[in-house]
Formats: sequence, structure tokens, C-alpha cells
Amino acid sequence: MPDSSATAGRQPDHSPTRSEERVDRRRLRSARTRQAIIEAYLALLRESQKIPTSTRIAERAGCSVRSIFERFIDLHALRVAATDFTFVQAAAQVLAVEPKGDCKTRIALHVESRARVCDYWLPLWRALIANQGDSLELKTRIELVREAILKRIEMVYQPELATLPERERRHVLIAIDSLIDFESWAKMREEHGLSFDDACAVWRYAIGRLLPTPVS
Amino acid sequence: MVRQTDRQAEPQSAAAGAGGDGKIDGRHLRSQRTRLRIIEGYLELAAEMSPLIPTAAQIAERAGCSARSVFERFPDIHSLQVAAVDHAVALIVPSPPPREGDGREARIRAQVESRSRSCQTWLPLWRSLIANQGDSTELRARVACLRQGVMDRLSAMYEPELSTVPEAERRRVLIILEALTDTESWARMREYFGLSTEEARATWHQAIDRLLPPTPAAP
Repeated sequence: MPDSSATAGRQPDHSPTRSEERVDRRRLRSARTRQAIIEAYLALLRESQKIPTSTRIAERAGCSVRSIFERFIDLHALRVAATDFTFVQAAAQVLAVEPKGDCKTRIALHVESRARVCDYWLPLWRALIANQGDSLELKTRIELVREAILKRIEMVYQPELATLPERERRHVLIAIDSLIDFESWAKMREEHGLSFDDACAVWRYAIGRLLPTPVS
Repeated sequence: MVRQTDRQAEPQSAAAGAGGDGKIDGRHLRSQRTRLRIIEGYLELAAEMSPLIPTAAQIAERAGCSARSVFERFPDIHSLQVAAVDHAVALIVPSPPPREGDGREARIRAQVESRSRSCQTWLPLWRSLIANQGDSTELRARVACLRQGVMDRLSAMYEPELSTVPEAERRRVLIILEALTDTESWARMREYFGLSTEEARATWHQAIDRLLPPTPAAP
């Protein structure tokens, strides 16, 4: 029988063994490499707007090509993971701004945060659209993004939209959704050469006119 | 659809008989016809496979000629794409200008109808063009030219309203209207929101009416 006086008052020992610590460290390193691969993929996409090769991704992530395929079955799986990562990042970016105040203030806040998302994530969005092909995973994610954008519009402009009959309300929603699309932003910036602020002003003006109580 | 082969399709020389000039003319004419069939074959396939680009073998099969015939007329698929876009653009029947005396409502209706028809018709090819323009300056220039055409049309249709606002606001409204009536915006209404043609047109109509400045009173 163990000496009860020796263990009295001691908490049970949950400290990891050396081998458990080693496994944890290995897992952490592996997770970090996985994250580095996703970030490298996104950074390369943003720079060249072309789908990066595994060699380029490995080079940028500071790992071997083999490391990529140890973590992702193929480049499609990496694309899906990068899309999920982006979705979480963009959602956090959007949700950080709480649209409060009068209509004009809410329009300004909504436009600013949507514009930032479009400016930053446009290359990934384009890659997603171009590479969706028959991928159910990517198609589902595109739908999710679109749903989130639409829900946000509904939420931000609920007071104004609530004053409209159902059919008209739907028309306004769809029109705003069309206007604040990624490609609509890209056109303003790339083709019309508008600055970030000028492009935001165009969106603010448009939303203000589309909503039932016009905001000048 | 598989077309006839080169020989089946062109059994006779257009200028059969006579001298060398006639032979050359006939050959030239046949070559031009083959070129046209290749372009049409490409356009059909590009619309069917959008946004994927058809291969030379698929185009040749559709045009009823050999892949070699394709590359005798176009150095590469990109040149064929450019020629096909030019051909498609040439086929677009320009919408009539606004009729004198037409009010705001009639002009919006006319513009929405013609724009929605063209979006519906050209959607697959437009998607193919956008997805495959890449770094091609030729294709990019054509995309820009087509968009400018839409802007010019909007500008002409809504001149009475746009003429009442300062230049900066006019430009702003035109940018918004072009984005709103974009081909992808039409596609989203039909494919994603499941709107009928009439409902989709009604959505555009309502939005344009709200976005346009007030119509000045008739003198």
C-alpha cells in the first residue's frame, strides 16, 4: 500500500509525458506547415492572378512539394481549404463592423467593409469562379458566399426594406446584390480607374438611390 | 453535329472551268468558306462548353475539316478566338436609337428588353471570353470595346435624364447602370435567384428607374 502521507494534498499528475509532448510538437509543426501552404497559395494567387503550381507554392511556403501532398490529396483539395480559410477571414472582416445608425451611416459602413473584402479577396474569388468546374465542394462554397452577402444586405437595410411590398423588396435586394458584386468592384477599379474612395462613393450613391428613402 | 468533310462540302469550284484566275478565285472562295465554318464551329462549341475552350480536333470535327486546315487559317487557337469574337460582334444587330418623343418609361422598357435579349443570347460566349481572355491584349480590347458599346447605348437612351446632372454624376450613374445590366448580373437573376425573364426584366426596370435622375419637363 502506498504511503498516503506522501501523496496527501497533491493534485493528480496530468503533465504530458515526453513522448506525448513530442507528438504535440509534431502536430503543431504540421499544422503550421499546412497553414503556410494555404497562405502561400493565396499570396501567389493575389500576385499573379494565375493558379500557382505546386513547386511555386512549396517554394513560397518554405517546404517541399511532398509536404504539400502529405497535407492535401491534390491541388483541388488545397483550393478548397484555401477557400474555407478565406471565407472565415472575410466573415471576420465583415462582422467586425456593426452596421448601426441612420441609413446613410449604415450604407457607408456596409460599402466600406464590402469594398475592403472585394479589394482584398478578388483574386481568390476569380480563381474560385474559374476553377469551380464540376466541383461540388467549390460550387457549394460559392453559394455560401453569395448567401452570406445577400443576408448581410438584408440585415443592414432591414429598416428600409421592411417598408416595401415583398416583390419590390426582392427587386431591390437583387439589384443591390448585383451592384456590390466582386466583378462590379473590379470593373470600377481596373477598367474605370476609380480610386478606392471614388469606387466606394459610386456604391454609396447607388445603394442610396435604390433604397426606398433616398439618401443624397 | 458533325459537318461534311472539306471535299464533300466543296464539290465544285465556284469559278469552275476557264483560266488560272478562276481557279485561284475558286480556291480562295473555298478557303474562305472553310475559314467561316471553323469560326462558326468554334462559336458553337465555345457556347456549348463554356467556359472551356474547344480543342483544335473538336473544332475541326465540327467544321468538317482537318485540324491541319484549322492551323492553315489560324496560327493558333488564340487567333481563332479573336477572329470568332470579331465575327460574333459583327453579327450583333445594333439596337435602334430611342424614338423621339418616347418617355422615360418607354425608353427604360426598350433598353431593358434589348439588353436582356442580348445577355440571354450571348451569355455562354461572354463567359468563355471573360474566362479565357487571360493576358491577351486583343481579347481584353474587345471586352472593353463591348462594354463601351453598352455604356454608349445607356448614354444615348437616357440622355434626357443624364443631361440634367453634372459630368461626375453622369459618369457615376453610367458606371452603375452598366454594372447593373451586366451579363453576369442577368445570369445571376435567372440562374441563382430563379427569376423568369419577365421578373428579371422587372427587377432591372425598377432599379434603373430609381437610379436615373428625374426626367426634365418637356419644353
